[in-house]
Amino acid sequence: MFQLSNLQWKSFFRSASLAGNLFSKIMMFFWIFWSILMSILIGLIHAFGASLTNPEAENIADPFSWLNKEIIYIIGYLIVIRYLFQKIPILNIRSLLLTPLKKSTVIRYAMHQTIFSIFNLALIIYLLMFSAFVNLETDSGNLFLWNVSIILIIYITNFLNILLNKKDKLVFVLFVLLTVLKILEYNMIVDLSIYSEMIFYSFYETPILVFVPLLLLVYTYYYVMMFFRNNLSIDTGLSMKVKEAKMNNFDWLNRFGSAAIFIKNDLRLITRAKRARSTTIMGTLFVFYGFIFMLFGDVYGETGEFFGLFFSTAGFMFTFCGMVPSWDSKHYPLMMCQNITYLDYLKSKWYLGIIGTLFTTTLALIIYSYFGLYYVIVLICCSLYNLGINSYMTLWSGAFNRTAIDLESNKNAFGDKKSFNSKTLLLAFPQLVFPMLIFYFVSVGYDRYIAAYCVGVIGIFGIFLRNIFFKIILKTYKSQKYSALSAYKQTN
Amino acid sequence: MITFKNLKKSYAKNVVLDIDLLEIPKGQAFGLVGNNGAGKTTMFSCLLDLIKPTKGIVTNNEINVRESEDWKTFSSAYLDESFLIGYLMPEEYFYFIGELRNVKEKEVNEFLKQFEDLFNGEILGGKKYIRDLSKGNQKKVGIVAALIGSPSVIILDEPFANLDPTTQIRLKKIIKKLSTYNRVTVLISSHDLQDVTEVSERIVLLEKGKIIKDIKTSKKTLKELESYFTKE
Repeated sequence: MFQLSNLQWKSFFRSASLAGNLFSKIMMFFWIFWSILMSILIGLIHAFGASLTNPEAENIADPFSWLNKEIIYIIGYLIVIRYLFQKIPILNIRSLLLTPLKKSTVIRYAMHQTIFSIFNLALIIYLLMFSAFVNLETDSGNLFLWNVSIILIIYITNFLNILLNKKDKLVFVLFVLLTVLKILEYNMIVDLSIYSEMIFYSFYETPILVFVPLLLLVYTYYYVMMFFRNNLSIDTGLSMKVKEAKMNNFDWLNRFGSAAIFIKNDLRLITRAKRARSTTIMGTLFVFYGFIFMLFGDVYGETGEFFGLFFSTAGFMFTFCGMVPSWDSKHYPLMMCQNITYLDYLKSKWYLGIIGTLFTTTLALIIYSYFGLYYVIVLICCSLYNLGINSYMTLWSGAFNRTAIDLESNKNAFGDKKSFNSKTLLLAFPQLVFPMLIFYFVSVGYDRYIAAYCVGVIGIFGIFLRNIFFKIILKTYKSQKYSALSAYKQTN
Repeated sequence: MITFKNLKKSYAKNVVLDIDLLEIPKGQAFGLVGNNGAGKTTMFSCLLDLIKPTKGIVTNNEINVRESEDWKTFSSAYLDESFLIGYLMPEEYFYFIGELRNVKEKEVNEFLKQFEDLFNGEILGGKKYIRDLSKGNQKKVGIVAALIGSPSVIILDEPFANLDPTTQIRLKKIIKKLSTYNRVTVLISSHDLQDVTEVSERIVLLEKGKIIKDIKTSKKTLKELESYFTKE
């Protein structure tokens, strides 16, 4: 066990992107701290029966019954969120297979790494805070065992997540199902929460039921372990599935000139490499981000709503384009030697961002135009800002991107790094905060329409300043070329 | 003409490449030999502007490779798998390289016909992505792609390693033809002394980054090289 964690330390400290890693580690601590703080706060607020999401309903009469009603959704979304964000333990299993370590030791080590994940801790802290302060008249022993049951269920989802590794579609269906059910509940057609309360309240009433999640957890744990044990040889679980290849021509893209050559390849990348595909899907799903802020508009206010809509149009750019040029990391030397200038190469990446943003904007327009003209205006202005400013910013920050993306090995069970990179999101902050500030101050001073126009106009300026931006970007990329090349050589 | 002038590359205090002057005239078949760590790949990487030399200048056809990207129009290379794009099919990869070198799809198809026996029916028309090909077949794809668009400078790092004997023989023929009939400058590195003496007119022996021997290939060359490496 000790040797294994030793290996992990080494791979972290010796990686080329150490500086980046360290920064994201620091941010990670901040993020953990923040999550814990929020868990405590929300736990407290819920315990006292104040509703966060719906301030109009002054107080929830019975917080405990309310939580039991919602818990089915919490667990459902937990599975989705884990799938998207929680890192699957990464170990270079291939090279460990021939060492004297037992297979089960390797697997167990990998599985145990997830136990103290913030996804578990935050929820446990929330539950404990809630339970400590909630006003219940009956036995506290029952409440304690109820907590144990729920925590066991949380851990079932934790281990399920390791199994779910490659099931994009399943998780997507779950996400849609939960959302549809919640909407139906909102419109009082079908009410899942009644059943949720029935089930989870019984853990409180009949504490002996704690054995159900306990047995389930034990079963899940051993199932996951056996699954990987049985699949841990080079020709089964660790092998690459060879898919029959299909030609894609994308001839219609030729109108983009020399950039089209690269855009075609990037489209092939998205359709053929899992990691690129899931990143693109993630980016597109951000289209729905605006909804969250619109639903709770009373809490977040106009600026919050604007933020949501802003993200709706920028999802693809922030996720997929945020990883440029790492997508080409495996064949970066080829790109640097071909008969194409660096500038043309970068422009093709920029075009890809533009096409992606236009696509997400169109989607968003179709969805949100239903709510009125204001939303159309906001979306167009946000989109302009993304096209005119953020497209350059994202590309520019890519020059410092040192993380090599291994497109080929990520078909292995354990070897898959999650497609969502926290660093990508961090770099996005300066790109987000500035337009938010503008919107906030102008909308407070004048009104929200003028505020939206201001953001849009800045974007238009950006579009006209293309050549200047590209000069800076090219210069940065050229100065970073050699260190990027040597960093991409590393596989870890 | 390719010129390496006062070229030096060192990592910390460790000098890995140190060449005072090396000139490779146009149309020469140039072979580079040396043990592991002799600096062969480093030298090629400097020529391709993939690593930054500590000191010195590399020019390719009078173009300083660090200052201008114009050398890319007439040079091509295959150093390792990082010159392949795994998620493409071989055809798509050839067309991609072709497009970059202004060679149309039709002409690429025409060009590929001469390699049919080299490909041995395992590469074209198969339903595989490059990432799923065997190492040897991947190499064939990379080397053939480097020949697309009739570049006048071709750089191949260890082209014979990993290939089956039949392919090695065929590849040698192709390389010989390029330099004798088409006046293409071909730069090759190899561990295999026999291979390299067969295809190159001139052989340079590197040792710890320095040029130890610079030989015009003759019948005695192989013996000379072999005796050098057995001496140690």
